[in-house]
Parts: sequence; structure tokens; C-alpha cells
Amino acid sequence: MSISSPAKSPTFRPSPHVIRLGLVVLFIAVLIVIGSVLTDRFARSTNFLNIYEQSTDLALVSLGQTLTILTGGIDLSVGSQISLLSVLTSGLINGDGSLVLPVCAGVIALGVLIGVVNGLGVVFLRIHPLIVTLGMGAVLQGVALLYALGPAGSTPDGFDALAYSRVGGLSVSATITVLLYLLVAFLMRRTATGRAIYATGDEPAAAVLLGLPVRRVTVLVYALCGFFCALTAIYLVSRFGTGQPYAGTYYTLESVTPVVVGGTMLSGGRGGVIGTLLGAYLLSVLNNLLNFMHVSTQIQLIAQGLIIMVAVSAYVERKKVA
Amino acid sequence: MLSVSGISKYFPGVQALSDISLDVAAGEIHALVGENGAGKSTLTKVIAGVQPPDEGELRLDGRVVKWHGPAEAKAAGIHVIYQEFVLFPHLTVAENIFVGQAPRTRLGLLDRKGAVTAAREVLARLGVALDPQRLVESLTVADQQMVEIAKALIHRPKVLILDEPTAVIAGQEVVLLFERIRRLRDEGVAVIYISHRLEEIFQLCDQLTVIKDGRVVGSRKVSEVSRADLITMMVGRDLSHLFPPKPALTAAQQEPAVVLIAEGIDLGRRVRGAGLSLRAGTITGLAGLVGAGRSELAMAIFGGLPMDSGSVTCDGKTIRHMTPAMAISLGIGFVTEDRKGQGLAMLLDVAANITAASLGTVQSGPFLDRGKEQEVAESGIANYRVVCRGPSNPVATMSGGNQQKLLIARWARTCRRVLILDEPTRGVDVGARTEIYRIMRDLAAQGIAILMISSELPEVIGMSDSVYVMREGVIAGFLEGDAITEEAVMELATHHAQAA
Repeated sequence: MSISSPAKSPTFRPSPHVIRLGLVVLFIAVLIVIGSVLTDRFARSTNFLNIYEQSTDLALVSLGQTLTILTGGIDLSVGSQISLLSVLTSGLINGDGSLVLPVCAGVIALGVLIGVVNGLGVVFLRIHPLIVTLGMGAVLQGVALLYALGPAGSTPDGFDALAYSRVGGLSVSATITVLLYLLVAFLMRRTATGRAIYATGDEPAAAVLLGLPVRRVTVLVYALCGFFCALTAIYLVSRFGTGQPYAGTYYTLESVTPVVVGGTMLSGGRGGVIGTLLGAYLLSVLNNLLNFMHVSTQIQLIAQGLIIMVAVSAYVERKKVA
Repeated sequence: MLSVSGISKYFPGVQALSDISLDVAAGEIHALVGENGAGKSTLTKVIAGVQPPDEGELRLDGRVVKWHGPAEAKAAGIHVIYQEFVLFPHLTVAENIFVGQAPRTRLGLLDRKGAVTAAREVLARLGVALDPQRLVESLTVADQQMVEIAKALIHRPKVLILDEPTAVIAGQEVVLLFERIRRLRDEGVAVIYISHRLEEIFQLCDQLTVIKDGRVVGSRKVSEVSRADLITMMVGRDLSHLFPPKPALTAAQQEPAVVLIAEGIDLGRRVRGAGLSLRAGTITGLAGLVGAGRSELAMAIFGGLPMDSGSVTCDGKTIRHMTPAMAISLGIGFVTEDRKGQGLAMLLDVAANITAASLGTVQSGPFLDRGKEQEVAESGIANYRVVCRGPSNPVATMSGGNQQKLLIARWARTCRRVLILDEPTRGVDVGARTEIYRIMRDLAAQGIAILMISSELPEVIGMSDSVYVMREGVIAGFLEGDAITEEAVMELATHHAQAA
């Protein structure tokens, strides 16, 4: 028995999460090596800057998704949120430059409101978040289609600068996304609320007994998820010039991929947003590479699915055979 | 019947078992005794074919056997009842008993009637009157345990291994369990009974083998060993001072200030009109059988379960709708019995767990101060002798005793007035146990009122200055000083239960 043996002096060893992040970086590096062997146009700085730019939408929506998953929940209404908010953005602006700011502010507020309703549903209906947000997703999709059956409205000249402007070659929107990630990462590590998000996903019963504001935190993460959906929607409108009622469909499940690839546990409590950002980059690099190889969309999907499974199984915490 | 010779098992970094030999005869209850981590579980797994030994051999009925997986061991007649039951709560008793090998009709369909009849027979053999068609989730833990045993019995086991079966039951249920184990012994089953509760070994077992640090310390007839011998064998040192001495009360402490009064607490049918009062600087025991409503009452006082009626008065403030946040701000702490589910955040590190209930004290401005948090964690680790690599050690890999000390370190930071401990030494080895007792005494000496829920009578008697006994949701009695005896507590805990 070693009950009173002194604690061993701490030796440096990277935490499992840092190892997971390292693995994602390694995967990205492997893809880049493969890419530069297969085609000489892949490993060019212009292409990397494009990949950086193209990662923006997925990175933005996955940032919010990471937070809901960390609490042990999930938001499956993100796709419909983005659809509705994008079609509203272009539909309401409808080419009028003076409406850009008020409409964008309103769309962001609406995104937060939708998230709050999601959060309240999770807290008070006490139904699994999957069901609550799935229901919300259907409702919002319906509302989006009531508003417009196809692309609606237009944006004034210059609105596309939001998505396309670059400074020194670096996409501004992608860089703002990175800054948002760093901000959230800092807040998650260094505030009591961040700690409460982890604790809620880890052991909800323990979090309640600790007197942590579990309900408030739950509403907060869905509200933030709505906020990031709104940003994604505005970004997409800026990129494509108009919104349409199916603009977001692809993101519902796609937003979960960078989260799990980045090492966040689907059951909550473990992981972090930086992993998600790396996960989003991994997927962008992969899609870009497959495009260069002229692989058909069908095959791209298959490759993507396989790589997700391989990547996640490389660092998943398996049950110990004790 | 079963003979183990020279078994060794090595895991990276630990020699889990070295040169273990023991013989278990048919019709014998053989106790396997040792502290947590001594190697009992590993040995069980080797015997049951879950893990292959590195060296040594197993003989069953004189023949050398080598298992390739647990299914082979089972087929040969070796069955283990683990602490955590392997039951399907939404299936019936009969379906659980025959899971995987249900009787079939000639058409190859499941024979439900046959299963129910056969289940009833097996249960009758155990002396249990259970309806085989009830859902397992509706059963008490004790009855679920019987279903587990019945599951083993349909295979006509030669060797039955019970891993700490009394960890989840108490009082009369234990008496019944023992009766049934003896019945199996008399039918010729070789029973291996794993426990660290010494009383049980003397009550139940014929033979005992003590394991320490993966080695056999000795094998004896139970009738030839005294309690003190056994403790010395187990820990290799004298632990007769398991409990720190109760302080002699000074005149001033004779009437210590009442810190907390709970009155008329109702919680569905589980707690009815229960009340108690806690005094500064004393340890109050809350005894009773499992299911008597002790944890629920404590949880209600802390605000973890909403009470239907009743009130809690702490330092003169009366509160009718307590919440954990309110309780914490009043200076009440709660060390839960369910360390994993309700206590620790298993994915976070030691530091985050220690500061979890008092994050406000390690903040500077709106942000957490990691430096301050590290300091707090380090002092907690030192003060409560938590064995770990440091503040960033993940909690999940720590032993039960150290996790428990960690929880106490957390609450000791916030509980200025009252600390509630629910089964503070469950799943904790003897060494950590004495430390926890010492910590409890120290906290009491600082003037904190301690409420300790315990199912272990020696613990209740050894630690409590006064004891409330619960029975079927009500407070059945209050004992103080020399009136706290095993007999008095058991009498209060079971009296009406037996009459009913």
C-alpha cells in the first residue's frame, strides 16, 4: 500500500487531448504529402490560401456545434437554421444597401433566439437534444420554404467582399473565424462558464450537485450555436450572392464531422474547439485534394466517410481490458 | 474441485499476481480476502477465463484446464457474480435468467411457458419467491442479485465466485443471501466468496485465503483464525486503531451549538416526515438498511432532490426550497456515495475537480487564475494526502480511496458549517479508510457538523457521537454516546420491517 507515499514529481507528458490534436495535424500533413506527390499544382501557396478561404463556412458552423456536443447534446437544426437565415438575409436586403446592417443584425438576433428556444426545449421538455433540435429543424425548414421556394432576393454590390476580400493573400472571413475560435478557446479554458460546460457534459448529475448553472449553460450553448449559424448564413449569402431555402441542408451532419475528427467526444465533456478548427481544415484539404485528382462527387463522399472512420478510430478512447 | 497452482500474471508496470496457489473443495465456502488492489479481481478473472495467466495452471476436478475465453470456463461450470450485475432491466426475470439459452419448442421458437416454469424452479431452489414475469427494473437490488445467482444456477455450476456481493445490500438481505449461499454449498457447489468485510467471513466462510500485493499471505480454516490475526494478515500491520478516538467532550462541547435542523421532510414515499439536527464539532451517524431513505433525506437537505414538504434551517435561516447552489453558499458540503455518477467530473483533472465547488475563489476578475488554481489543488493534494501525479492528473485513473479523498478535499474548501458524507468509505481500501476517518475527525474538530451515512455498523459505532436510525422512510430512533451499540442500531433499523 502506498497511501502516504509522496506524489511523484510531475514529469512532462502531453495530455491525451494534445496528442489527439497532434494526430489531426499529422493527418493533414500526410494528405499534403500525398497531394504534392500526385499533382504538382496541389502544394502551391495559392492553393493553400484557397483551402484556408474555403474552410470558413464549415469552421463557423462547427464552432457552435462543438459547444453543444461538449455539453453532451447536439444541434441537428443547424442546417435548417442556416437555410432559413440565409434566405431571409438576401430576401429582406433585396439589393438595398441601406438594409444590410439592420438585416444582418436582425438575422443574428433571430439565430440567437432560435438557439435559446432550442436550449429551453432541451432544459424544460427534458427530451434528448437530438429530438428537440430535429423537430426544430423540420419547423424551420418549413418556415424557410413558406418564405421562398427557391433563391430569394439579392445582395447589393460589394456585399460579396465579406466572403472574398483578402489582406495579404489571407481571406479576411477565414481569419475572423480563426480569431473567433481563439476567443472561444480562451473563454472555455479560463472562465467558470467554460468549466461548467465541460462539467455538464461530463457528469450532469455531478454538475447539478455542484450548484453549477446547468440549465443556463445548456441554453447558452444552443444560443451560441444559433449565433454561429447566423454568421454562417450571412457568409454564404455573401459568397453566393443570394440565399436559398436549402442552402444549409448539407451542414446538419457535416457540422458534426470536424468536431469528432477534432477529438471531441460525442458523449460530451471531453475535447475542445481548437480540435474542431483543425478538423475543419482536414476536411477542406481532403476535399480540395480529391477535386485535384478529378474524383467524382460520389467517390469523394466515400473517401470522406472512410477517412473519418480511420481518423477517429486512431485516437478514440477504447474500453480498457482490465 | 478447483485447484490453482503457481499462477502469475504481469501487467505493464505491475506484477498483479505472483505464484498464487489455492484449493477450493466442493461443498466449501472459501473466502478470498485482501485489500483493494491486492489482486482478488485479477485472480477471479484468471479463474473465469477472462484473462490468461502468464504462468501456472488451473485444475478443475483434477484435470488441467486452459481457458480460451470466459465462455469455456462457463461451459466447464465456473460462474462469477460480479459486483456490477449483467442484467437487462427491461426484460423479465425469466428472460434474464435464460438470456442466450432460452428453452425452445420443437419448432425452434422460444418456449416462454417453459422458461417461466424453469425460472420458477431455479428461484425456488434458492428459496426466493419472485414472479419470473416481473421486469428486472422493478426489483430491489437484493432480488436482482438473486436473479444473477439464478442465472448461474441453470448451468449447474461447480464453482461459484461471488465478488463483494454485500456491497449493495444490507441487513436482512445479507442474512438471506448467506442462507442461500450455504444452501448452495450444501448442494456441493464450491463457493469462492470475495469480501473485505471481516464480520461476513467469520459468519459465512469455512476456509479463507488472504492475498496481499498479488501473493498469498496464508490459507487457514476460518475457525482457527481470530479477527485480529486476520487484520494483521491482510495489512501486515496492526490496525486495531482503525477509528480515531472520539474526543472526550468538554463541558462546553456537551451542549454544542445546533448548526442545522431539518424538519418534517417528505419526499414521495421514500422519506416521510423525517427530521434531524446537527451540532457543531460532532459527527452524527445516519444508519439504516439500504432503501430506508437515508441518501434521499441527505440529498433533500442539500437540495439535490426537491422535497415535497419540510424545511431546513441552517444558522437560523429557514429554507423551504433548497438548491445545491444555496446549500453551498450556506456552507454545506455533500460527498456523494456515487463518486462516478454524481461526484467527480471523471474527464477533468484533479485541479478542476478540487475547485469545482468553489470556482469563485480562484478567479481574478472574470477569468480563472490557473496559477491560483494550481496552488489550491496542490494544497488540497497535500492536506488530504491524495496520491496522484499532480494537479493535472486525470481523475479517472485514480483509485477509489484517492478519488474519495479528492472529493473530501473539494468540499472541505467550501463547507464552513456542515459536511454530509454518504458512505464515505465504500470501495475504499483499509489504509485510505483510516485516513478518511482521521480527516473526518479533524474537520469536526474545526467545528464543522458532520453527517455520515453508513451501512457498515462498525463504522457507525466507531465514528458517530450520535446516531439517527432510519427505517422505511422515517426516523426510527436516536442514539447517543454509550447507547450506540450494534444491537441497538440493528433493532431500530429492522424492528418493524420484520414485524410487517
